[in-house]
Amino acid sequence: MRLGIVRGHVTLNLAVEAFRARTLVVLEPVTMENLRAGNGLGGGKSLVAIDALGAAKGQMVAFTEGREAANPFWPDAVPVDAYCSLIVDTISMEPQAVA
Amino acid sequence: MFLARIEGTVVAVVKHPTLDGCRFLLAQRMEADGSAGLEPMVVVDWLGAGNGSMVMVSTDGDIARERLGNDTPARMVVVGIVDRAQGQGSSKRGDA
Repeated sequence: MRLGIVRGHVTLNLAVEAFRARTLVVLEPVTMENLRAGNGLGGGKSLVAIDALGAAKGQMVAFTEGREAANPFWPDAVPVDAYCSLIVDTISMEPQAVA
Repeated sequence: MFLARIEGTVVAVVKHPTLDGCRFLLAQRMEADGSAGLEPMVVVDWLGAGNGSMVMVSTDGDIARERLGNDTPARMVVVGIVDRAQGQGSSKRGDA
């Protein structure tokens, strides 16, 4: 799972059956540099993910990519490739060692 | 599978129900030339890897599905704690 910050939500007008009544969020992946700086910035290339947890704008989530992103819909076959698995409360990190 | 260094722990109250009770660690991918990946990853750990350990992470979700159920979104799992990794730029932790 990568980390991403919720930047907004997506509403579909016409959609395939699997996406009806689903919440979609726009995520901006977080780089290690920005995470350490704690500056609230992302830095990665944004993507859209399914969110069933109710993540709000500005919250950080961890999202699964690939085949496993569709697992929560098992055994249905759905065209999902990114899924919000958890909403981050805290991340504890050791201070970076000076090389 | 790839090597990663554990950089911290992640706490999440709201998560997919299959992930209840899982231990989440923040891992940074390590490249052969000694550089680190740009974006950190959240991995599931059952082995008890500590801060600073070098681990091997599998990106296949089969073991997670076996343990957490077919509907789990877990994918990246710590499958081993590295004693030693030899190679280019091998001044890595664990080289005793």
